[in-house]
Amino acid sequence: MSVYGHKKSSGAPAPKPAKPPTARAAFYDLDGTLVDLNLVHAAIFTLANVGEWSGRVAYLLGLAARIPRLYMAERRDRRLLNATLFEAFKGVSRDRLLSLGEEYCERILIGHLFPRGLELIEANRAAGIEPVLVTGSPDFIVAPLARHLGVADFAANRLVFSRGRATGRLAEPVMAGDEKAAWCADYAAQRNIDLADCWGYADSHYDTAFLATFGHPVAVNPDRRLRAAALSRQWPVIHFEKAASSEQGDDFDDGRDLQHDIERSTRGSDGAA
Amino acid sequence: MARPEGKLKELKTAELRHEVGARSELVVKLNRRSERRIIPYGEEFIFEKLPVGTRVIYPPPPLEPLPDADQAIRYALLHPEDQDPLFAQLSPNMRVTIAIDDISLPLPQMRRPDIRERLLNQVLQTLADYGVDDVHLVIATSLHRRMTEAEIRRVVGERAFKQYWPDRLYNFDAENRAELAMLGKTEHGEEVWLSRRAAESDLLIYLNINLVPMDGGHKSVAVGLAPYQSLRHHHNVGTLRDSHSYMDPTRSALHRSSDRMGKLIHKSLNIFQIETAVNTRMYGGMLDFLHKNEDRFTDWDRTRLRGFQWTMRNMSSELRRNVLHNYAAPYGMIGVWAGDTEAVHRNALARVFQQYAVPVKGQADILIVGVPYICPYNVNSIMNPVLVQCTGMGYLFNMYRNKPLVREGGTMIICHPLRDEFHPEHHPSYIEFFHRCLAETTDAVELEKNFEQEFARNPTYIHMYRYGNAYHGVHPFYMWYWGEPARQHVGRVIAAGCEEPEVAARLGWEAADTLDEAIAMATSEQGRSASITYLHLPPLVIADVE
Repeated sequence: MSVYGHKKSSGAPAPKPAKPPTARAAFYDLDGTLVDLNLVHAAIFTLANVGEWSGRVAYLLGLAARIPRLYMAERRDRRLLNATLFEAFKGVSRDRLLSLGEEYCERILIGHLFPRGLELIEANRAAGIEPVLVTGSPDFIVAPLARHLGVADFAANRLVFSRGRATGRLAEPVMAGDEKAAWCADYAAQRNIDLADCWGYADSHYDTAFLATFGHPVAVNPDRRLRAAALSRQWPVIHFEKAASSEQGDDFDDGRDLQHDIERSTRGSDGAA
Repeated sequence: MARPEGKLKELKTAELRHEVGARSELVVKLNRRSERRIIPYGEEFIFEKLPVGTRVIYPPPPLEPLPDADQAIRYALLHPEDQDPLFAQLSPNMRVTIAIDDISLPLPQMRRPDIRERLLNQVLQTLADYGVDDVHLVIATSLHRRMTEAEIRRVVGERAFKQYWPDRLYNFDAENRAELAMLGKTEHGEEVWLSRRAAESDLLIYLNINLVPMDGGHKSVAVGLAPYQSLRHHHNVGTLRDSHSYMDPTRSALHRSSDRMGKLIHKSLNIFQIETAVNTRMYGGMLDFLHKNEDRFTDWDRTRLRGFQWTMRNMSSELRRNVLHNYAAPYGMIGVWAGDTEAVHRNALARVFQQYAVPVKGQADILIVGVPYICPYNVNSIMNPVLVQCTGMGYLFNMYRNKPLVREGGTMIICHPLRDEFHPEHHPSYIEFFHRCLAETTDAVELEKNFEQEFARNPTYIHMYRYGNAYHGVHPFYMWYWGEPARQHVGRVIAAGCEEPEVAARLGWEAADTLDEAIAMATSEQGRSASITYLHLPPLVIADVE
């Protein structure tokens, strides 16, 4: 298999003991679904920390120069967006990317995970539905996150390296659009999992095909087009939101009259009758 | 001091029969010269000719509302039934929880100020006057969807909202295990679970609205603040099959079960129940013709009806839905009582029957009902096919005492377009229930046995219930069980005006393009002399069938 996933991620041990193969799985997209960040943020962080100041400026300028292409790609094709974005990593060493991935995950990504999303992963896991990450983010960021979440299997985009340095190209299959769906079908077939019993969670209309693969697709914080698709296809919609703040107003014991108030003749300093 | 509602005739149950006897004009037999009848049809109202001889049952006219609702509430708080007045039960530093009926009542939503706001303002002021600070306001949603911030603000009013939201004013969460307490088991082995906050309070105050006699009583606390672990003991096929009808608490196993639970709760909890009743003034102003006998329509009524139909037809479905759900009914409060749950509920029930009951002689072979755009479970949402089933076979079929309006083995005609349409945020589990479970079987016992647990414990549905605005995963099953007495009783159900016959087939119904076709289908089996009854809505009516 050519994708990064399909094997136990190395590093820190998974928090749960090994289980026999499960009959059901939940496939989660990452950016916008489990975290309130996107791929561009990860790229900027990585390139802004990649080397000496001069090198960083050069990388960031390179990324800035790609903005028009990224914008056009975003409007047309998620695969093209990934390919264009990852070109900016050309020349960065594998070791540096791995360490930056760990750092980005620990310092930034984990703090931006939706708490409700984590809760849902755990609830699903408790119900025997094992989590799988399927994302267009780069493997050097997803691997430490998967370890953190105790997720054994994931699919992420991989850079092609030559003599230890990124070439700026992505290894096939590029995790975007239909390729995500194909990967999930392949994954399920290998494990004798029926996708009709599986759950899929994603946020973007580019993931429509990915979601349609599963018997239980769920649109999470959907963009306008995915929301429209979810409505027409009758997919459940979930929102992972931050807590709302409250507006303080006047109290009932502040002495102001209610519209038809009782005369408070019995009120004493201790509040007793 | 005379009761503020003293202007209304106080009726004992025995007198009720005589009182409603004066309402004989509410049962009309159609002849050749009779006008067409208004029938709710989803988000529209159709105006259809019914066969000669059809019996039409109209709801009683609205009782006069209490002249001063706030004064009546004040009186009820000071003169409760079988309990000390509210103020006499208070002391500083005590823990008080106020539970409030959720958005499922009344229907449609009522004009502001909502009765609950009026009640709440006076109760909170009394608590404040007596130095009670530890007060929580809990929306008694049970397994219903969480009300949104705007919906809660509308119901409780600005003042309570600003002071208590969101820390001390919130929706009940039946899946927050840490916030649930088990109080024990009834003599029938029913587990009684309750909101921990309520269970550990020194005083629980319940604010209720009775729209129909099914509401209120012990059911308020025992259901409204209870999780699935409790509800499964009465929201099940066996119990609901033994309820004849839901609107007659004396003959309802559902109510007997919730009464047992309520009595157990009362042993460990001090409950001050406040119940209210509203009249049948569901539509007012430009829409008041919807209440009228069509034979008495004036030209102005017909013009308004045509204008209303034209407007509804020419709106986009989304706009039409918004307009309808934003409509606020000019309900008037016709009674308020406070104190001991059973004593309070006796009074409330008598008043509700006084408002809604109509004596009807004999059952019909064919019962026609129109399912409107709204039911308790789709406020600000979509009336999906499972809810159409619940409204038609669950609620409208059960609008009786003594005997059902349709004879055993008879035919029920339900007017609704029946579209395969669901709200993905409010009714996610309904979608799977309809497309997966009902595709396998429509047998309620099989559904209960094979699927209920899976849906009740589904993590995504639980998540959407707790943090979104979704009905609990098990809710569509309850909606299906709700129609079980009707399924057991009638021989045939025909969906009239059905736009998607496959939806009707999924529900186990037959489909007809028009009401005429549905009636022809029904009479082909029941015979040309079959008796037909049309239950006229809006507003609501309860038939006392002899």
